[in-house]
Amino acid sequence: MFRRWIVFGSVAAIVLAACAAPAATPTPDSGTPAPGATPWNPAGISGSATLGQWESSPSERSALAAALAAFAVTYPAISVDQETVAGDYRAQMITRFGARTPPDLFYVNAEYARDWIDQGFLEPLDDYIARQSFSTNPFFKEYLDIFTGSDGHIYGLPKDGNTIAMAYNTDLVAAAPATLDDLLAAAAALKGKGSLKAPICLNPGLDRGLAFLYAQGGELLAADGKAPAIETPASTAAVQWYLDLFRDGLGMTAGDMGDGWCGEALGKGDVAFAFEGGWLLGYMRDSFPDTSWAFAEMPTGSSGSKVTISYTAAYGIGADSANKDQAWSVMQFLTGPTGMATWTGGGIAVPSRSDVPVPAGFDIIVKGAEYSRPGSGFMRGYNDVQKAFQDAFTAEIQDGTYSAAAVVTATARAIAQQLSN
Amino acid sequence: MNAADAPGRERGQTLRRRLAYTLLLGYALLMFVPFAWTVITSFKTLPDATRLTVIPDPITLGAWEYTLSRLDPSVVVLFANSVFIAAAVTVTNVAFGSLAGYAFARLRFPGRDALFLIVLATLMIPDQLRVVPVYILFSSVGLTVGAGQYVAVIFVTAVSATSIFLLRQYFLTIPRELEEAARIDGAGFFTTFWRVMLPLATPALAAVTILAFQGAWNGLFWPAVFLSPDSDHWTLPLGLTLFRLTGGQGTNWPPLMATVVIATIPILLLYIVFQRYFVEGIAAAGVKG
Amino acid sequence: MRRRAPAHRRPEAIAAYCMVAVPMLIFLLLNIGTFLYAAYISVWNWNIRSGPVDFVGLRNFERILGDPIFQIAIRNSIYYTVVWVPLTMAVGLFLAVVVNQKIRGQTFFRASFYFPAIASSAAITTLWIFLVAPDGFFNEVRGALGLNPLFQLFGFGPHQNWIGDRRTALNSVIVLNAWTTSGTFMLFYLASLQAISREVYEAAAIDGANAWQAFWRITFPLLRPAHFFVATVGMIGGLQLFDQAYIAGSPNGDPVNALMTIVLYLYNALFVQIRPGYAAAVGIVLFVIMFGATLVQRRLFGGTPAS
Repeated sequence: MFRRWIVFGSVAAIVLAACAAPAATPTPDSGTPAPGATPWNPAGISGSATLGQWESSPSERSALAAALAAFAVTYPAISVDQETVAGDYRAQMITRFGARTPPDLFYVNAEYARDWIDQGFLEPLDDYIARQSFSTNPFFKEYLDIFTGSDGHIYGLPKDGNTIAMAYNTDLVAAAPATLDDLLAAAAALKGKGSLKAPICLNPGLDRGLAFLYAQGGELLAADGKAPAIETPASTAAVQWYLDLFRDGLGMTAGDMGDGWCGEALGKGDVAFAFEGGWLLGYMRDSFPDTSWAFAEMPTGSSGSKVTISYTAAYGIGADSANKDQAWSVMQFLTGPTGMATWTGGGIAVPSRSDVPVPAGFDIIVKGAEYSRPGSGFMRGYNDVQKAFQDAFTAEIQDGTYSAAAVVTATARAIAQQLSN
Repeated sequence: MNAADAPGRERGQTLRRRLAYTLLLGYALLMFVPFAWTVITSFKTLPDATRLTVIPDPITLGAWEYTLSRLDPSVVVLFANSVFIAAAVTVTNVAFGSLAGYAFARLRFPGRDALFLIVLATLMIPDQLRVVPVYILFSSVGLTVGAGQYVAVIFVTAVSATSIFLLRQYFLTIPRELEEAARIDGAGFFTTFWRVMLPLATPALAAVTILAFQGAWNGLFWPAVFLSPDSDHWTLPLGLTLFRLTGGQGTNWPPLMATVVIATIPILLLYIVFQRYFVEGIAAAGVKG
Repeated sequence: MRRRAPAHRRPEAIAAYCMVAVPMLIFLLLNIGTFLYAAYISVWNWNIRSGPVDFVGLRNFERILGDPIFQIAIRNSIYYTVVWVPLTMAVGLFLAVVVNQKIRGQTFFRASFYFPAIASSAAITTLWIFLVAPDGFFNEVRGALGLNPLFQLFGFGPHQNWIGDRRTALNSVIVLNAWTTSGTFMLFYLASLQAISREVYEAAAIDGANAWQAFWRITFPLLRPAHFFVATVGMIGGLQLFDQAYIAGSPNGDPVNALMTIVLYLYNALFVQIRPGYAAAVGIVLFVIMFGATLVQRRLFGGTPAS
């Protein structure tokens, strides 16, 4: 049955790609070729390229297979060899960079994109972009910025994106709260009801906390990005507000409920609210088909404006990759309108371009992209900042002290250290 | 603990033995809890798998069907790759480990203690630190592509200091008299090793066989580094990374557990076969003289 | 320093070198070579792709030793090793002695005691996390057995999150690994027990020793090579604790560094922060600790048993 779907999906993708083939040959709509450079025609390239990727599920595999099948129809002269990394993607890619034998084309998660750019692992793409007159305008700017180095060069093209939205159990919550105050009221009313372990599943770190920090008018960095802003009264108050959710028993971590993550907590009925991205759709369908739930936009906080956080990943080419031209040909197709439509049509990811149709069920997630801010990849060494926040935050919860002061101090110190590096 | 000849000692001892036996049985059964859980979960549906219930509701063969027929690479390929690599690594570890273990335990040669310290020192460098230089080395000689990937994994685990160390310690416990008798008969060092010492070391060889095979069978680190690019070369532990759910969050427990069951049984059988050599007297047989 | 081998010993030395040649060559290439490489880059600010950036001398080492997170990592790794090794040795030896006797169902006991050691660390750790979860098997069973008041005495509620609470995370991993590795240690001891002649016990029995005395007077000292092996391999493995900490606590050593170990710290330096020179320096510090501890253990347990 599953195999049949792969076949069906691939056939559909090929048909779709064949029909769209004329459109897949890029037409210059913006960006002019660099003076003196030979114009680029990806269809004139032949050979092969390796594609290094993680694979998180069978549905992700079939979505990528469909996109690559569509590529093969449009560009029959280039073959793509998939190298699915089993296990720790980041560690294995670093090993390959160290040996100067990276795959030709590979995924770059926003989380470590800046570090990889700074280390010189990635090839700048500006030349290819200019020569082909490949337009980067349709990409959501916030996604593209993450893969733009401090030197102004573009080192990756976003392959998809995701934003965090509010998921709620529709049996327990009649109408989605529109503001954080409404959320608190709904949570307080639900506390201790039925089989709930807590009303809200929360993450003790910036991974989700950043969305609440922004919503409550807090900031991590100053506007110019050159100093920490987590210690300002507004930010401290926002962190304190987030901590109080735990203190008041309105929120709990998935681990403390015995769940692997908040999606599982929502599915099992341990909580009524969880804050997750588009990945929740497929998970709930597979694991908890009987739980009725819905997505709603992130509630508005005291900042008064809508805000959420986003996550993205890109395709990149290695500075030491052997077949860069072929890799670019594959990349411009997969991140182009046709390739991305096939990929996101698989129902596991959301387009990173505004000119690609929204896959069914993802409208709230895509809507979030209109007002979202990056959830990672906006500064170097962000992992250490996240760790500092989460360690201090968790300590406050486990020690029962619930004070934001130590959390913001530790986080500010970590930020300052990264900015001074 | 008490050697006194108190009256009723006989009865007390039987009672105590019963109690000890019951405790042992309880402890032994407790050891099976995780495996029992694995087996039970493999017959559950995905929603049911997240609940702490003993009887699957409903009982389904879905996960087994999925594991046996729909994995890509197929479970047969994964299994075959695992068997091939683990068998090769076991043979090299037993062969090189016993030779070197014997030399370090029994032969006298300049630099022996220093060399042995170096052997121990090789255990003290974390794989995480070795991976980049080793990968550079192997990729420069073409062992990171095609069939060379198998060679790379086998080579890097071909001989472990643990095997040498274990066998050396065992050879140290074997009484010297036997060996000396053989030497007086004019046997060379290799003949003595092969004819006299190796048969006496059967229990340790069995232990090294079990450990080397199991280590290679369960190994994830080096196979992930070298075998990742070509999924037809994957081993079972690499295959275990395939059971994530859509979006990478959450785990598809039932087929994962079915695969764990498949991965566990060969080692269990191997262990049951080889533990027979842990019999008192094998080594001591010749000490009579 | 030793002088040249006497002439009559030369064939023995040549035979010995032949026997150790292949392993030593492999070690030279894959271990000693990488150690020297690590030692070299540890004094550099090093780019993993393009090589040396600038020479920093011992500054990497200064930074490591001054980093509070590294100090936590060292403390955790040493605490883990000091508790886990003796505990696992004791359990392993006990099990080995038990299944070495001719008891009914010997094969069954041998198999079941070894059973936890069979599964891969990834599989067994994942399962363990599930079993000791707040609503998991362990908490349910102790509740059903009425043991909760006892745990309450130590401040643990009925839904204690053993792996997620920073007070109990490391000890939970110790219990997990003692439970799984005791089977392996049993295997080591079981093999070694076979080398002890029955006649030794018979002689002791004639002298009027009971089983307990025979164990402490004969078995335990005769197992000295096995003790040295188990203690050394255990110590080296313990100080390199990684898999279980990584799976249970993510690369960050959650919760709050409770599961931060030296190798996890090294992993972060190399693969997250991408500072190969710094990571190499961590490896060198770890090496020095382990090598020193091995020399001490060699003093304690090394050498051959009295014959």
